[in-house]
Amino acid sequence: MKTKLNSFVVANAAKCIGCKSCEVACFTVHNRNNHVAATVGTVTVPIIPRLYLIRSEHGTIPIQCRHCEDAPCANVCPVGAIKQEGNAIIINEKTCIGCKTCLLACPFGAIDLLPQYDDGKEVLQINLKEEEEGGLTQKARVIAYKCDLCEDIGEPACIKACPVNALTLVTPTEERKARNKEAALSLIKTING
Amino acid sequence: MSYINIDQELCTGCRRCAEVCPVDAIEGEEGKPQKINTEICIMCGQCVQKCSVYAPYFDDGITPINMKLQERGMLESVKEPLFAAYNIGQAKKVREALANPQLFKVVQCAPAVRVAIAEEFGLNLGALTPGKMAAALRRLGFNKVYDTNFGADLTIMEEGNELIKRVTEGKDLPLFTSCCPAWVKFMEQAYPELLKNLSTCKSPQQMQGAIIKTYGAKINNMDPAKIFSVSVMPCTCKPFESDRPEMMASGYKDVDVVITTRELAYLIKDKGIDFANLPDEGFDLPLGDYTGAATIFGSTGGVMEAALRTAYEIITKNPIPKIDIEFVRGGEGVRTATVQIGDLELKIAVVAGLKNVLPILEDLKKGKSDYHFIEVMACPEGCISGGGQPKVLLEEYRGIAYKNRKDAIYKHDSELKLRKSHENPDIKKLYDEFLGEPLGKQSHHLLHTKYKSRKEK
Ligand code: SF4
Ligand code: SF4
Ligand code: SF4
Ligand code: SF4
Repeated sequence: MKTKLNSFVVANAAKCIGCKSCEVACFTVHNRNNHVAATVGTVTVPIIPRLYLIRSEHGTIPIQCRHCEDAPCANVCPVGAIKQEGNAIIINEKTCIGCKTCLLACPFGAIDLLPQYDDGKEVLQINLKEEEEGGLTQKARVIAYKCDLCEDIGEPACIKACPVNALTLVTPTEERKARNKEAALSLIKTING
Repeated sequence: MSYINIDQELCTGCRRCAEVCPVDAIEGEEGKPQKINTEICIMCGQCVQKCSVYAPYFDDGITPINMKLQERGMLESVKEPLFAAYNIGQAKKVREALANPQLFKVVQCAPAVRVAIAEEFGLNLGALTPGKMAAALRRLGFNKVYDTNFGADLTIMEEGNELIKRVTEGKDLPLFTSCCPAWVKFMEQAYPELLKNLSTCKSPQQMQGAIIKTYGAKINNMDPAKIFSVSVMPCTCKPFESDRPEMMASGYKDVDVVITTRELAYLIKDKGIDFANLPDEGFDLPLGDYTGAATIFGSTGGVMEAALRTAYEIITKNPIPKIDIEFVRGGEGVRTATVQIGDLELKIAVVAGLKNVLPILEDLKKGKSDYHFIEVMACPEGCISGGGQPKVLLEEYRGIAYKNRKDAIYKHDSELKLRKSHENPDIKKLYDEFLGEPLGKQSHHLLHTKYKSRKEK
């Protein structure tokens, strides 16, 4: 049995300045298949990040997937497109059918459903057509997007990109041990005066 | 009209732009949309390079993207994301003119454009593509593909001689370079009392513009009124420069429209030109002929190095012993040195990043400066890092982008047969046939300018 808890990225609202660097970075590293290279001019598809900067009267903070242990999204996916892989919960964008069940199940709103892009173009469905101004057109494929902890590149791009270090990767088991230690130390200090 | 703007609907007030603005022109409360104080903004566009807050594509709550494109003067075919800080574009005017058969369309390209334009087509950061760039401009429909580098060689002829004159006469020293319009505007608004220290030379863009509509018109047998002259620049301040009322030495607006490196990429994409697979083509002669000295203008220290190569040889009448003047090439904001030229000990300074020049100006005001010649560029690494250059997606790419673009510029220089401005055969011919001599009457009329205080009394 896997005993290590899944990692996830959290933001510190006190630090976040709302610059969206994290969103841009997330989009950039996930769109090599859309020919996104180093500069803005290479972008031909809409920016679709996997974390979302939320603004409220108390400040700004990006929200993203918590990689739940008993992941509601994975549990409800009718086609089994969401799986545990390594220490993360991953959506298989190829098998996702865009049914939105995961979107409804996620308690954090970390999943968004948007058109799929490949080779710089919208991916179209094979059979489904829709009525548009110019007549019937093939309907775009819509899929679920969420944070995958940048498993392909090894480290979360958002953390690296944040100019004020507002983001950190939490590895819960280690985090718990570290906190245990801190608590023990302070207790010992108090007792020994 | 202000050239640099912040989209009030998009700006989140993160104030990262304010960190890079060298004149503190960005005003506003944290977390609220920012405004630019256009009086003091020098239009360097560093804020445009920095801003990472983009217009979300799927958000119905904001002004539609096509309207934003319109507001920003961008082509409707542009697909890239739009950011909160932006400059007003002119690509539409260029596209219109290119479709007009009545006009004789001429283009010039700054040295920093050829080391960055390819990035917008997925090539490596700093890929050097002068040949593809010339080919693309021809396919866009320009009748003549000339080069600001020619204008840069010309600038060295004038500025080198101006330096020698001032040093000999011991008058109005130090001499400051005047190629960077952002720096020039700053001097006019913040240090008008020091304007006599600015070189009277126009920038290469404006020298080239004046030559295109005079000498160029003559050799092409063209009515200058029919010439539409476009310049492609790494710089968001260059349109402001070309719009200055005094920039009409030819009797017409010397440079009709300025577009940035990024806008040139928009035009190429708009026309469906496959940039990456274009063949290498040359620039048109004679106004597209250039030396290595001209090409290094795009990097900090470049104008200084180019000027030294020529000044050394004019003064000593001997070839310069070492053509690569490494000590002016460093990356620090201020580099100083003493250069031995014959009997003359020339004290020089190279400044990149406008904030770094402040102590020098303060010393000069107090009469404590003993420099002869100072190059100032407003952008952090000179024009390769200009506000109109391709914008990096991730901050971690910025350092590599600047380094690669700079390396490409010096590589280009080292590969050219002629590397000193005064050896450019077409520059010599221009003086023989048209200008006479550097600092002469015709040069004075076409290639030099005056400055005025912008300080409120
Ligand atoms: S990059 Fe950092 S500061 Fe900027 S929005 Fe994201 S979390 Fe906030
Ligand atoms: S213009 Fe861009 S960088 Fe400046 S405060 Fe607004 S969002 Fe931030
Ligand atoms: S263009 Fe330059 S001077 Fe103007 S606001 Fe932007 S950074 Fe500041
Ligand atoms: S350094 Fe170059 S790009 Fe920057 S403002 Fe000056 S001329 Fe323009």
